[in-house]
Order: sequence, then C-alpha cells, then structure tokens
Amino acid sequence: MRYLWWLVRRQPWRVLRGSLIGTAWMVGLSVRPYLIYRAVDDGLRARDTRALALWVVAIIVAGVGLSYLGIMRHRTMTFIREDAKARSAEVLLRHLSRIGAVLPRRVGAGEVSTIGGSDIDWAAQVLTLTGPGVGAVVAYGIIAVVLWSISPLLALCVLLGVPAVGLVVGPLLRRLERAESVYRKQQGALTARSGDIVAGLRVLAGVGGRDLFARRYAARSQELRAEGYRVGAVNSWIDAATVAIPGLFLAAVVWLTARMAVTGEVTIGELVAVYGYVATLIVPVWFLLEGSHQLIRGRVAARRIADLLNVTSDDVGGPGRRWSGPVPDPRRPGAPAGPADLHDPLTGLTVRAGRLTGVAADDPAEALALADRLGRYVVSDTTWGGVPLTGVALDEVRARIMVADHDSYLFAGTLRDMLRPLADDDDGRIGAALRAASAEDIVDALPAGLDTPIDARARTLSGGQRQRVRLARALLAEPEVLILVDPTSAVDAHTEARIADRLRAARAGRTTVVIATSPLLLGRVDLVAHLRGGRITATGSHTDLLDSDADYRHLVARGSDDPDIEAADTEEAYR
Amino acid sequence: MSRLPVADRRTVRRALREMIGRHRRAVGIVLALHSAAAVAGLAPPWLLGTIVDRVTAGATVATVDRLALAIAGCVVVSALLSRYAQYAGHRFGERAVAELREEFVSRTLGLPVSVVERAGSGDLATRSSVDVATVGTTVRDVVPTIVIAGVQLTLLFGAVFLLHPLLGLAALAGLPSIVSVTRWYLRRASSAYLTEGAAAAELTETLTTTAEGARTVEALRLTDDRIRHGTGRITQVWRARRATLALRTVFFSVVEASYPLPVALVLLVGGYLLSRDMVTLGAVVAAALYLQQAIDPLDRLLQWTEQAQRGFASYARVLGVGMVPAEPPGRAATSRGERLVVRGARFSYSNGPDVLHGIDLEVQPGERLAVVGPSGAGKSTLARLLAGIDAPRQGVVSIGGCPITDLDPAERRRRIALVTQEHHVFIGSVRDNLSFAAPDASDEQMRAALVTVGADWYAALPDGLGTAIGDGARQLGAAEAQQLALARLVLADPHTLILDEATAALDPSTARRTERALAAVLAGRTVIAIAHRLNTAHDADRVAVLADGRITEIGSHDDLVAADGAYADLWRSWHTQADERPR
Repeated sequence: MRYLWWLVRRQPWRVLRGSLIGTAWMVGLSVRPYLIYRAVDDGLRARDTRALALWVVAIIVAGVGLSYLGIMRHRTMTFIREDAKARSAEVLLRHLSRIGAVLPRRVGAGEVSTIGGSDIDWAAQVLTLTGPGVGAVVAYGIIAVVLWSISPLLALCVLLGVPAVGLVVGPLLRRLERAESVYRKQQGALTARSGDIVAGLRVLAGVGGRDLFARRYAARSQELRAEGYRVGAVNSWIDAATVAIPGLFLAAVVWLTARMAVTGEVTIGELVAVYGYVATLIVPVWFLLEGSHQLIRGRVAARRIADLLNVTSDDVGGPGRRWSGPVPDPRRPGAPAGPADLHDPLTGLTVRAGRLTGVAADDPAEALALADRLGRYVVSDTTWGGVPLTGVALDEVRARIMVADHDSYLFAGTLRDMLRPLADDDDGRIGAALRAASAEDIVDALPAGLDTPIDARARTLSGGQRQRVRLARALLAEPEVLILVDPTSAVDAHTEARIADRLRAARAGRTTVVIATSPLLLGRVDLVAHLRGGRITATGSHTDLLDSDADYRHLVARGSDDPDIEAADTEEAYR
Repeated sequence: MSRLPVADRRTVRRALREMIGRHRRAVGIVLALHSAAAVAGLAPPWLLGTIVDRVTAGATVATVDRLALAIAGCVVVSALLSRYAQYAGHRFGERAVAELREEFVSRTLGLPVSVVERAGSGDLATRSSVDVATVGTTVRDVVPTIVIAGVQLTLLFGAVFLLHPLLGLAALAGLPSIVSVTRWYLRRASSAYLTEGAAAAELTETLTTTAEGARTVEALRLTDDRIRHGTGRITQVWRARRATLALRTVFFSVVEASYPLPVALVLLVGGYLLSRDMVTLGAVVAAALYLQQAIDPLDRLLQWTEQAQRGFASYARVLGVGMVPAEPPGRAATSRGERLVVRGARFSYSNGPDVLHGIDLEVQPGERLAVVGPSGAGKSTLARLLAGIDAPRQGVVSIGGCPITDLDPAERRRRIALVTQEHHVFIGSVRDNLSFAAPDASDEQMRAALVTVGADWYAALPDGLGTAIGDGARQLGAAEAQQLALARLVLADPHTLILDEATAALDPSTARRTERALAAVLAGRTVIAIAHRLNTAHDADRVAVLADGRITEIGSHDDLVAADGAYADLWRSWHTQADERPR
C-alpha cells in the first residue's frame, strides 16, 4: 500500500486532474437522459417546436462536451497509469542491476518476469481508480438527488436496488473468471506443448516419431475442447443471468414508475428519465465493484514489487557463513595498491601476480568454488597481497578481479554491445580481443558484422562461438586479475591451440588464472596447480606434472572426447 | 533466412468460408438464436413506448401491470435465448479452434526440417504460440461478440425503421462520421498495437535477463549499462503507448461525439412527424430509447474490430505454415544394403555460394569415419546431407544404391540417426520421451536402454518411467537430457549414426560422462563422427579432412600422418603438447 501511495505522490496534479475530469464525465453521463426527458416533455408532448429545437441542440452540445470529457479522462488515466508503470519499471531496473550475484539465489527469474510482465501493470491499474472512483461516488450522489426530486420512493428503490444488483452479479462474474482461468491454464499447457513440438522439431527429424506427437497433441486438444464445452455451458448461464438480473430490475422500476405515472405522481418525461437514470447508474456502480476487485489484485502486485525491492545485495556473500575475522574498516579498504598475489588457504593455491596460472581440478564443483573464493562471491579466508580479500571494498574487488564463468550471461544487443558494453572502444581494440579469442570468423559470418543484433544468451550462435565471445569480452575488460573458468571447453582442437597461444600474449604481464583440464591450455601456462580432493596436490609446469603426477596425467587425458580410447592409449597419444 | 510464407487475403477468406461451410448448421443455429434473443431484447423499449402512449391516453393500472409483466417476460425470454445462442456459439468456436490448432500442429510436424531451420525456429514458435492463441481468442470470444453486436444493431436500426422510415433515416445520422473514423483508425491501429506489444515484451525481457544475468552484471560491472539499456526500453514503451493513445484520442472522440447525433435528429424528425400526426409520441420515445440502446453494441463492435483484424492477420500466418510443401514421401520404401555413397555432391544454402564443392565419399557398413577440419569447412553441412535432411544441389547421396532423399522419411530416420549438440526434453513422462523413437518398446527395454547409456538416475525418479519431465515439470540437466536422447537411439536402433559434435555444448565434466554413455551406443554401427577432438580421429578407421567444402585428405590416421599433409600438422601440434611444448 505504501508503494501504491508513493506512485500516487509522484504525480499529484495529474491524479487530481484525473479525479476532477473523471467526476465530471461520470456526472455528465446522466445529463443525456435528463435532456431527452426534457425534450420529450417540453418539446414533443407540449408540441413546442422552439423548446424541442433548444433541447435537441443541448443534446448535441452535451454529447460533444461529454466526448471531450471522456477522452480527457481516458488520456489522463492513461498517463497516470503509464507514469506509474514506467516508474515501477525504472526502480525495478535500477534495483535489479545493482543487487548482483545474490539475486539468483533469492529470486527466480520466472518471478521477475511475472513482476515485470503483469504485477507492474496491476499496480498501475489501481491508480486509475483515483479518478473514476471519486467520480463514481459523486455521480451516484447527484443521480440520487435528481431522483429524489422526482419521487423519494423511486429514489430509494433505485439507489438501493442498483448496488444490490451489482452485489448479486459481481460474484457471478468472479465465478466466470475462475472457470475461465482453469480453461486458460489448460490452454496454456496445450500451447506449451505445441511450442515444445516446435522446439523439438529437429530432434523429431533426427529420430522420427512425428505421427505419435500429432496424435498425442490431438488427444490433448480434444480434452481442452471438452473442457471448453463445460466452461461454455456454465459461462453462458452466468452471462445470461448478468443480463437478466439488471433487466428484471429495470422492468420492476418501470412498472413502479408507470403506476405512478397513471396516478399522475410523475410525468411521462420523468418516466422516460428514470429509465435512463437506472441504466446510467450502472456505470458508477460497476466502477466501484470492479475497482474493489482491482484494488485487491493491485495490492498483492504492489506487495510483490516491494518484496523484490527489499532484496538487498549482500556485501560479504555466501549463505550460512559469516565473516569471523577482523571487521573491515570502510575508511581504510587496505587493498594492495598494485598487482599482488592471491592466496587461497583452503586449497593452498597461490596465484602469482603477473603470471598465467593453470588450475586443473578433478572435481569441477571444487573448481567453481575456488573461482567463487578468488573472486569473492562467498566469504572466505582468501588473501590478496596478504590482506583478507573480504576486507576490501567490494567495488574495488569487482573492478580489479574478474571471474569469467564459462556460462556467464550474454545480454541481447549487437555483438559490439555484447563485447564491450561500457566503453567507446575503437574497433581496433575489439578486433584485437576477438583475435585473441580466435573469434574473428564469428564476426565475419554475421550479416552486419559487429553491428548484428543477437538475442539474449546468444542462442543463435553455437556453443563454441558463444564461448569465444565470452572470452573476448573478458579480455576486453582488461581486469588486473582475470580468472577464466573452462574458457575453451566447446571449441575444436585447432582453435583451442590458437586461443592458448594468443591468450598468453594478450594477458602478458598480467595476473591470469585458467581453470581447465585441456592439455592444450595447460601446456601454455606458466605454472599448473593440480587441485585434487580439495587441496592443491602438486604444482609445476605441465610437462613436469605429466611426468611426476599420474593422477594429473590421467585427468588431462580425460579431456578427450572419444571414450573408446583406453587410458593407456590416450596417455600414449599425449606423450 | 527465408521466412515462412504468410497466406494472402484471398486464401484467408477462402479458408474462412470453408470453415463456416463445414459448420454450416451450427453457424445457422447460432445466428437464428441470437436474432431471436435480440428481437426479444428490443421489446422493452417498445413496451415502454406503449406504456407512454397508454398512460397519455389515460390507461388503468391494470394495463400498466400487464405491460410491465410483458417487459419482464421479454427480459427472461431474451436471456434464455441468448444463453442457448451463446452456448451454441461457444461450442462452434471450440470445435473450430480445436480443428485449427490440430491442423496447425500436424502441418508443423510435416514441415521439412530444412525449411524450419532456414526460417529460424523463432518464427514458427511465435506462430504456434501467439498466432494460434490470437486466432483462438478471436474465434472463441471476438467473433461471437461481433456477431451479437451486429445482430443487435441490425435489429435496433430495423426496429426504428419499422416505427417510421423517416425516423429510421434520421437514426443513420451518426454513421458516416463513425464509419470514416473507424476506417482511419483500423488502417493504423494494428501496427501501432503490435509495436506497443513488442516494446512492452522487450522491457519485460530486459528486466528478466537482467535478473538472470545478475552475477554477470556484478562480475563485469554492467550496472550502469543495464540501467541505460532498460531506460531506453522504458522510453520506447512510453513512446509506443503515446502513439496508440493518440490514435484512440481521435477515434473515441469522434465516435462519442457522433452518438448523440441520431438521437437528436430522431427527436427533431419525430417532432415534425408528431405535429402532422404521422407517428405517436410513444413511437418517438421508443426510437430515441432504441438509439440510446444501440450505443452499447456499437461500442463493443468498434472495440473488437481491431482485435478481429489482428485475428485475421494471425490467421494468415497460421495458414501460411500449411503453404509450405510437406516433406515429400519417399519413392522407394527400402534400400538394398547399408553402404553410404556420396558422389559429386555440391550444396548451397538458399542460393548462396556453394558450401560443399563436389564431395566424393564411401562409407562401408560398420566403418568408423571421423570428419575433421576447421570450423566453417562444411562439416555440419556434410552431416546433414548424409542424414538426408538436405538434398545436394548437384550430385547424389545414396544408401544401398538408393538416393537417400528417395527413402520414406520415417524409414530413413529409423536407419540413419543424426545426433547434434542440440537436445530437447519433450513435455511428458520419461516413457513418452523414449517411446516415440520405438513405439513397440516395452518398459523393460526402455529401462535397459537407460542403463546402457548410464542414465541410472531414472531409478531415483519418483514415478520411474512415468515421471513427468520437460518444461514445466522436472527439469533435466544437459547431460541427463543428452543421455535420454542416446537411450532413444539405443531403442531406435539405427544402423548408421552421424555424430555432429554431440557433446560440444556441454561443460567438460558433463561432456565426459556423456561420452562414456555414447560409447555404449556406437558399438556395432556405422559411425560418422564430426570430430571435436583429435583423438576421435586417431581412433577411427578412417579420417576425412574437410577444408573449404572439399575433402582434402582421406585415409587411416597412420596413413595421413605419414602423408605429412595438413592433418599431420594438426596432429603434431596436438600430439607434441606433452614432450616438445614451446615455452
């Protein structure tokens, strides 16, 4: 609710204007029945041509005025709603962009998509109630006064009757919505199935089974049709009731008024007017009923938005573990001034400044955990130039140490945006990074080169192409320390060999860690560390380790993709 | 990329006529019921007019009671009729939509895979979700609304004409402006709303991807960039919404301002006629009320026209899928033998330059051939020709002497399987995911196949083979999905396997597990492997080196190393990593 109120306070004048116009419009709706009644009574019945002409002109003028009010109301409400949506989207965007790595642990992407797709709209919808909501109440009051002047008895009947009808019909409509939602859900599942078939079309083309899928889909489709029949049977009754109940009420009012007309209590014109008023009154009453429903949904939506906004980024990282060492002093971050060694006491790994270090891990999970510690995505005792890494301002860590995950995200945009989103780099530097990642052919193959738009996750590129784009991006960022996780697992041997050489040149003199098991990469690094069972069990050059460490030999041999080769065979191949 | 076709207006109209023709009876009943309901709905204003007349003439309370009762009766009758009309319409809609989507899916399944790939699967995915749904909503909800509104309007205006032809003419006063502004609006609305929808979807996607890539945003310090990007999207949405609002502003104001015109004119004309005693006061009142009553259906009609137009456009795209010629059925049902032969095969994608320049290749049954070469050499294209997915532009690919594209597609897929990096878990049970490759396989065989490929995880699933997997249910990891695909191959039992970098997209440890599973499948089959790592080549019976769309070298590993060509160079660079590594 506070969130909704905040959205209102951002645009007070617009909301006020909306209320005024909304009220005027709603009141204006009852003007036409009044004018028609005057035209009938004063003009037609009295056979007074002048009066008739006057009232007819009034009807046209009022119509134009009403249409003006109506459109201004619509415009103002649209602006209020859009302002609220844009504002919500913006705060969400800013927040999501800042939270960082903890976000996926706290909130599912599906939830964000629901919030971004519909909750923002629902919350904004509530704001449009401000205008018509006030207007509905005022219009209701005015019609009440007018009716009272015709006949207090009629006024009472109508004023109580219309909301009563609303209260009866409202829940019916709600039921209709529920029945529909079951159907829609089933329909969504069926749509998902056809999408599934489209997505798997290539698999089906490879192995067959199309007929079976067509039959399965048709069976589901028939089930949905049957459900549709059921829903239709219920819905059509509800629909009929929602028309019949107000219709019967109207008939009752007409009957009452007509009897009064017979006895002369009301005039013929008033009889016609009452008929019109009852019809008009339905609009504000609907608004109020619909509004209360929207308010409920809007509040739920606003709460979900607020919850997401309350997810805070977590400076020290990991779940369930707390930094127990010295509390970092924010005024003295204590980061090493220049390149310094990174040390991870848990595994015993030391990353020498300015060198290219390879880490070969038996267990990929351990490798990922190591990267998380070195990049400070979790709390650990890792030190940087002797200083606890956890004590350094996070901003500085991010600016100087970069972990490039092998599945790091590729955002939609042109390839240029993807590679270097922040800088105004010239194509020369981009070209150099692409060369280092052996990714020039990707650019050449794209219709518009660097300016070709690519969708999120670069799904149109192959696995190997994506990996090389990621590598080029990491190289372009030129961090002081670069930690690459499996940077070449999806590229062919030829390309991998090229990357291994060029990577070395591109990162010359800068601290780089390559976590991989490929002999081509490990063969090109300054120093290899073998991570086994959570500890660094051996360090040395690739050749030294091949000679001295049988486990290491075995590990890098497994990097092959032909399982038929016996271990001995492979070892031989590697030697 | 050549896009999938879209049906032209004539085709769409013909398809609509055919659809109505198929359901002639249902459509007739629906129209008749709605008309009857609308007629009953017209009675109350007319009865009110009668009351006015009678009361003016000095009627008794009893007359008024009778007339009021008649109004109530008409309301009930109208409601009942419209209920049945609506139900009949609803059933018709459901049937028509079911037919339409089933037709669409069966057409989609019949599409040659090469067509889908060239068009990009995104286009087809949009058609299967957005367009089929749009047409569904249109047929189910929009068309009935429009039909009802149309019937009501016809009858309302007809009733005014019946009261007096001159009143009827007066009632048409608002139409010219409404019709012209509607035409103006419709010409612009669809594209404006599509732009608006696309902009909104992009904004949602920006928010979602920012959340998905949160770790990357932090790691690469992309915060400002994401904000800038998203703000741009927000501005776009705002602009698109303003554009549609401008359209509505013109449309609604003209329409709304037109509504009082007929009422005003009817009153004026009525006054004139009344002064000559050509109509009664009641008739004029009834006419005015009818016109007041016409506003609601007119509003509905106008509001839904735009949606109907969009439905029409979607229908054109849905029908377009049916215009792609289906995969031709094979001419020869079987072939003699399993020897794969490629002769002088050339290939180009959609009239582009040739990717393969005359490939000659023979693969003996049971042989293992590795295809190596730099990326872009045409390895995957060759794999597709061998699997019969594409036909060569020139030359022939044959199996057992029979051109591979002449084989019946189902038969071909049973014999030759192509395994790529892509894998897909279908929505359904584990059993569903296996059975389509071999419909006759028993549960026992399925379990055995799963065990063969090392997918022992299936045993831990809550419902075993019956466990629901895929989108919206239990998600399988990449390795599990690939194992499932391999188990499918074990069941399908093709004699020839073409592996196109089957494990390249997996992370290294997953790839290793998958490769072990793959070994179980390869035994005893002809295998053509597009090699990712050179040891595959080392282990194969023969190696073909592909460069720039030509086979430059072919022979056993040892022969090629001895020949000292490009392959030998590549091999040495890999092979010598260990002992003479440059520092």
